[in-house]
Amino acid sequence: MQSLDGVVTLVQEGRFLMQSDAGPYHVFILSHAAAAEPDQLAALQRDQARVRVRFKRGRDTIAMVAHQIERLPGRAASG
Amino acid sequence: MADGGLALSRRALDYPASDLSGVIPDEAELTAGVRIRAGHSYGFFTDTTLCIGCKACEVACKEWNNLPADHVGMTGDSYDNTGHLSANTWRHVALIERVADRPTEMRPFQSGWLMMSDVCKHCHNAPCLEACPTGALFKTEFDTVVVQQDICNGCGYCVAACPFGVVDLSADDGKAHKCTLCYDRLKGGLEPACAKSCPTDSISFGELPELHARAEKRLAKLHEIGVSSAYLYGMPDGPGATGGIGHLNAFFLLTETPETYNLPRAPTRPADRVAPSLAAGLATVAALAMTAFAVFARRT
Repeated sequence: MQSLDGVVTLVQEGRFLMQSDAGPYHVFILSHAAAAEPDQLAALQRDQARVRVRFKRGRDTIAMVAHQIERLPGRAASG
Repeated sequence: MADGGLALSRRALDYPASDLSGVIPDEAELTAGVRIRAGHSYGFFTDTTLCIGCKACEVACKEWNNLPADHVGMTGDSYDNTGHLSANTWRHVALIERVADRPTEMRPFQSGWLMMSDVCKHCHNAPCLEACPTGALFKTEFDTVVVQQDICNGCGYCVAACPFGVVDLSADDGKAHKCTLCYDRLKGGLEPACAKSCPTDSISFGELPELHARAEKRLAKLHEIGVSSAYLYGMPDGPGATGGIGHLNAFFLLTETPETYNLPRAPTRPADRVAPSLAAGLATVAALAMTAFAVFARRT
């Protein structure tokens, strides 16, 4: 399973947008197999939290399916 | 303002700058001429005669709701590469090419095309809501129908119950998804993204009584100028709101049969079929029991 580090910038239901450390934005869908619920994502956006997401490619979508989200120390640089 | 259009709110003059320091309070009053208040009924009036098939509504919906692109590729169905509503597509602009009109009978002004931006109808008596066993589907304070993602267990009963084929299960998160009529935007006093982005106001957002009046006025105007085929789909107890559905909060002005737009002619609520089905089942059980009793009695 691949992983990507970045900052959660936007959350809608079980979907979130993450700006990876390399710069590009990626759309993620929270997998039904993930040990997290959609309402837990809002806090990540509110804090602009840095996270590490382990994911697989979505089926017939331009999105990744997040299977594990790990909160990393620190937060997005402001400004 | 021109006939049928929205009057510019005087409040618009309060915000002349290009850059704003924050969200404008009750912004929908400026963009849609309506102040959004809990306890009132809101919806969409989609006038298909004004749709130009630009798909701005599809894009705006995907952008605001962070919905990923799906079914990437060409469908081979004219310019319609979206195909249909799905878990990741909550607005679908149908481009219906009327091949019979071409090439010798092509008339000017959209004669060869029908375009319609389809969406969840937010039924008054919503079959999806009635079928949901967990209460994940609920009526909001704006009289719209929304799926609560943390409660949905992905059973899919709502998918089968929807007479319009709107609700869909995502293969990725296993939950039901559909248009929320931008519930989060309404709570913030904002017009839904699709209606705000529509360049021709084919999609109007507003309070239902006002939208109904606007639709009746537009229909009368179209009949007056000779578009006698125009009719409203989803008005109270009219076409599209049959079978106890009541009315559709997202209703349409159409010029062809509902089937042409992939809409059901007479949608119904599956809940209405429960009692007859139960009665038929009980009658069958009774008939089988009587037959068995008769056979058994004859043998003894």
